[in-house]
Order: sequence, then C-alpha cells, then structure tokens
Amino acid sequence: MSHAEHVNGELPHEPEKATLEGRNKVLGFWLFLGGEAVLFGTLFATFLALRGQNNEGPTASELFSLPITAAATLILLVSSLTSVFAIQALHRHNIEKLKLWLIVTVALGLGFLGLEIYEFYEYIVHESFNMKTSAFSSAFYTLVGFHGAHVAFGVVWISLLIAQLYRKGLTVVTAPKVYVSAMYWHFIDVVWVFIFSVVYLLGKVG
Amino acid sequence: MTANQSSNANEGPTVKHRHRVEGPEKHIVVFIFSIVLTAIAFAAVAAGGINTAFTIIILLVMAVLQVFVQMGYWMHLKDKGHLMPILFMIGGFFVASTCIVMALFWVWW
Repeated sequence: MSHAEHVNGELPHEPEKATLEGRNKVLGFWLFLGGEAVLFGTLFATFLALRGQNNEGPTASELFSLPITAAATLILLVSSLTSVFAIQALHRHNIEKLKLWLIVTVALGLGFLGLEIYEFYEYIVHESFNMKTSAFSSAFYTLVGFHGAHVAFGVVWISLLIAQLYRKGLTVVTAPKVYVSAMYWHFIDVVWVFIFSVVYLLGKVG
Repeated sequence: MTANQSSNANEGPTVKHRHRVEGPEKHIVVFIFSIVLTAIAFAAVAAGGINTAFTIIILLVMAVLQVFVQMGYWMHLKDKGHLMPILFMIGGFFVASTCIVMALFWVWW
C-alpha cells in the first residue's frame, strides 16, 4: 500500500496529490493551461491587430460601458476567491463546505454568463454590432465569446463534479478532479484580467 | 513511523493537527490587492485626460501584477515543486506574446 491511504483509513492531508494519478493529472493540466495561454494569445493578437477596423460600424469607445465591465470583473474575481475557499475546505476534508463553495462559484459563473449574454444582446439588437459588422466586431466576438465559452464549460464541469461529490464523496479519486477544476477557474479569471484591460479599458481609451 | 502514528491516534487530536492547514487570510489579502489594482486600472480610464500612452502602461502594469499575484498564490505557483508548471506557463506566455508582437508588427509596420 502506498501513502495514498493512511493506516487508519483516513484521507491524506492533500488528497489531490496523494496518488501518482492525481499528481500527473495536475501536471498534465498545467501543460494544457500553457497551451490555453497560446490559444488566447493568438486571439488577443488578432484582436489587437484589428481593433481599429470598425468599417463604419460602432467603435469600441462608443460601444463599451465601464459599469457592466466592472460588474463582470467583480463577479469573476469573487468566484475565483470562492474556488480558493473550496480548495481550502478540500484540504480540511470538510466536504459540506467544499460543496457549498463550489455551488457559490458555479452561481457566480452563471451570473457572469448572464451579464455577458445581456451585453452581447444589447450590442446585436440595439447597436447593430454583430459578428459580420467589421473586422473589429469579428475579433471582439471571437475573443470575448471564446472566453465566455470557457466560463460556460467551467460551469458545466464544476456542476458535474458537485454531483459526483454528492454520489461518491471526497476520495483520492475525486479530489484531483476538484483541484484541477479550480486551477481551470483561476486561469479563466487570469484571462479575463487581460480581456478587461486590453479589450474594454483600452477600447475606452481609443 | 507507523507505530508512532497509531500511538498518536489514540491520544486524540495530535495526528489531525500535525499538518498545518493554511488559513484564508493571505488569499483575502490577494483578493483585496486584486480589487485595488483593478480599481486603479478602471479609474485611470474613467478619469480621462491622462496621456494615452501613459494610460496603456498603467493598464498593462496593473494587469501583469494582478496575474502574477493570482497565479503565485491562488494557483500555488510560488510553492515548492512547481518548476515544471512554471516552465509550462512561461513557455505558453512566451509563444502568446510572440504572436501578439508579430501580429502587430505585420499589420501596422
């Protein structure tokens, strides 16, 4: 028997790193996040190159609203903090608190998605700013929409993990999954930091 | 070691408290720090009247600082045993920034 299980059958201190499989999962996920950084880098590159080409459609400074961007930023930042609390509960083997903080994280993720859908709806319906309006609009929807798709995926993923925690409890098998999903969620927040800086705030500056 | 552990287990809480579990304090500090950096970035744009180039520098510095702190503390990159993850992320950011610089160079120079 490895150190995956304690002699008295207790869960180890850091259950996500207790098995080789768990450690490999975390390491492999970092490699994936490196690839994600490149993927978002190419989308940022496209956006930065094309952001001035509005083709007589709305420009960034006409379109964007700082209060909505600030609200979305706050929601995502708080959700990143709640997923830190979830991992701290995991390290304390407090499964009830772990599930609670994951549910809060998912709820905040849904709030962010709702805000983004409202924002896109306003742009498309009231500002006639859609995917085909200009090079700027295509680059904007591709970059921000791709980030939104990542949030949507994260919401589904973490929801399924919560369901699995209810079914199987916290074990050396489920713990690495939760840990890795929290890494993913932090990475989404990190990407959003660049999006609100480079897309929205820089767009307002001109 | 095993004998030591099982004898401790009989004494009650000693085994459970052998591992120090970190508290939420430093993560709340990181959160407040992130809020402050974000507020500075938004304020620099909302205030207006600041030189555009200087505003861009403020935005980039605030973004990079916030990303560094969050990846260091929330994603544990500053902890021991994270050499490979750090190399993966440096590699990813290196290729990403090369893409950005080259796209801007090709389109605008």
